[in-house]
Amino acid sequence: MLAGRHPVLHAVDGVDLTIRKGETVGLLGESGCGKTTTGRLILRLEEPTTGTIRFDGTDIVGLKGPALRAFRRRAQLVFQNPFDALNPRFTILRALAEPLVNAGIDRAEHRARIERALSRVHLPGLDRIAERFPHQLSGGQLQRIVLARALVLEPEFLVADEPVSMLDVSVRAGVLNVMREVRDAMGLAAVYISHDLALVRYVCERTLVMYLGRVVEDGPTEAVVRDPQHPYSRALVKAVPVPHVDQSHDPLPIIGSVPDARDPPSGCRFRDRCPSAVARCAEESPALREIAPGRRAACHLI
Amino acid sequence: MSLLAIQDLEITYRTQRGICRAVDGATFEVPAGAVVGLVGESGCGKTTVARAITGVLARNAEIAAGRMIFAGRDLVGLDRRAYNDLRWRDIAFIPQSAMNSLDPVYRVGTQIAEVLTIRGGFDRARAGRRAVELFEMVGLNPQRLSDYPHQFSGGMRQRAAIALALALNPKLVIADEPVTALDVIVQRQVLDTIRDLQRRLGISVILVTHDISVVAYVCDYVVVMYAGQVVEAGATDAVLSRPRHPYTMGLYNAFPDLQRSGDLLVPIEGSPPDLFEPPEGCRFAPRCPFVLDRCQTASPPLDRTDTRHLSACWRTAEASELRNRAREASTWLHS
Repeated sequence: MLAGRHPVLHAVDGVDLTIRKGETVGLLGESGCGKTTTGRLILRLEEPTTGTIRFDGTDIVGLKGPALRAFRRRAQLVFQNPFDALNPRFTILRALAEPLVNAGIDRAEHRARIERALSRVHLPGLDRIAERFPHQLSGGQLQRIVLARALVLEPEFLVADEPVSMLDVSVRAGVLNVMREVRDAMGLAAVYISHDLALVRYVCERTLVMYLGRVVEDGPTEAVVRDPQHPYSRALVKAVPVPHVDQSHDPLPIIGSVPDARDPPSGCRFRDRCPSAVARCAEESPALREIAPGRRAACHLI
Repeated sequence: MSLLAIQDLEITYRTQRGICRAVDGATFEVPAGAVVGLVGESGCGKTTVARAITGVLARNAEIAAGRMIFAGRDLVGLDRRAYNDLRWRDIAFIPQSAMNSLDPVYRVGTQIAEVLTIRGGFDRARAGRRAVELFEMVGLNPQRLSDYPHQFSGGMRQRAAIALALALNPKLVIADEPVTALDVIVQRQVLDTIRDLQRRLGISVILVTHDISVVAYVCDYVVVMYAGQVVEAGATDAVLSRPRHPYTMGLYNAFPDLQRSGDLLVPIEGSPPDLFEPPEGCRFAPRCPFVLDRCQTASPPLDRTDTRHLSACWRTAEASELRNRAREASTWLHS
């Protein structure tokens, strides 16, 4: 009688998204919305309970051995906290060479590949930093090293989870600019996971807004920022403060706080916080459907 | 009339590496009934100043010089007992993570009642009524007073920390990054609560933050710190829309603004100086695009020509021309 079961938490529930070659997509949402889990699923760092994830035509769910290793070479992760992402006892050279060693790249090629990655992130040549340790570099330099480390294998796909949230504002701008340049120069597809709409807007062409494990809106970033359609996106855009005094102080069009993910509301998960919810919202879960060319939203009222 | 005046405050930390001059000549005022933003990046000394005012500096820290005049009385040199009388009743603190002000093993209501009875001399019945009143004031259901902190969400905890800080009607509340750990919607709601209560109760608030958009949203005045010093201070609108110090100009360029589209964010190259061996002259000089020879040798004092808008820069008189140049990204790109 005491052997209860752990309640099932649907961290990510029915997420359906496509990322095209060379496209940068922002995954935006608040803590607990499932954005980080989605990012980890895409890279096969987590196994989905059900569903498929196709990368270049191949389902990566259940991939093993050489096929999984080949996928890992093509898809890389940029960690959130540069102070944790690098082993404090490894020199920068060793940190940068590690992915190459793991991928079995010929040693003769290492130097050229590392130099190329460093120049992409605007760090001085390898000679100047090779023998240094992480604690000898600033936060901004470290985050560039972390980015360079993800680039040494020349991946086609990158997932970056809150890549600048640990950095000071004056330094953050430099790293964001590097990410934009990398996007343009390498043409790689990327997913940026963030709670920060301004950041997503700065680097991503397309934005997906998540709420309680589901995608509620998907569209070109500028359209989502200027004219959000889903009631949750509308509240989110309105809540972002701007750095000048001329801004709205009106109450946000949202009620209460995020419900427990283990026991989400029936129908639309946003309905008990939505100022315009109707009876149907409690009965039927809205599908993510096209509302305009290139734009999708999951709301009965649109 | 200011409630608090910080004058030439210097605070050092003794460490194994030597003496760190974390705050080196900070001067600013907090008017009665105003919200003052203390803004700057990591290591600029803003939290050290906040802790000094509250009387909770780390053991290895020392106030080396300066005065902190609160309601006519210098807080520097106050002994522990005098500070204990002052804390909660006159000056209260809201930390970044409410978990630091709430003890996880006691019910939230018990903790509020404890402040009321021990610090405020309330009897138990009055303390109970006051706790209910405080919860209603910050927008929490009084039934949740019997909950433990872990049963609260991040936003609720921060509201409980605000209730705790306001328990004994302090004149000044110091909030250290009170919304940094919160999601943007919750952040907005908590900021609205702070602003609303500050107006209703007529108290002063010092909001320590790295976020100039949070400052723009709630603060009447802003004090910008860089490398242990105050570099600019004045009314929020004046400082953000017509900055006089190049650091403030640079900070604004580096900050994303959802209302301006397409603007390139411009970083400030380099990093702040080592506070164990601060450079001679202006501390921002190594990163400043407008640096002159003079800046390298002599530290600029806070220019008080305009008492409503102070700036510690030798070129304050040229501020409007520098502002125009600062808007060009190329100005900030070092060769």
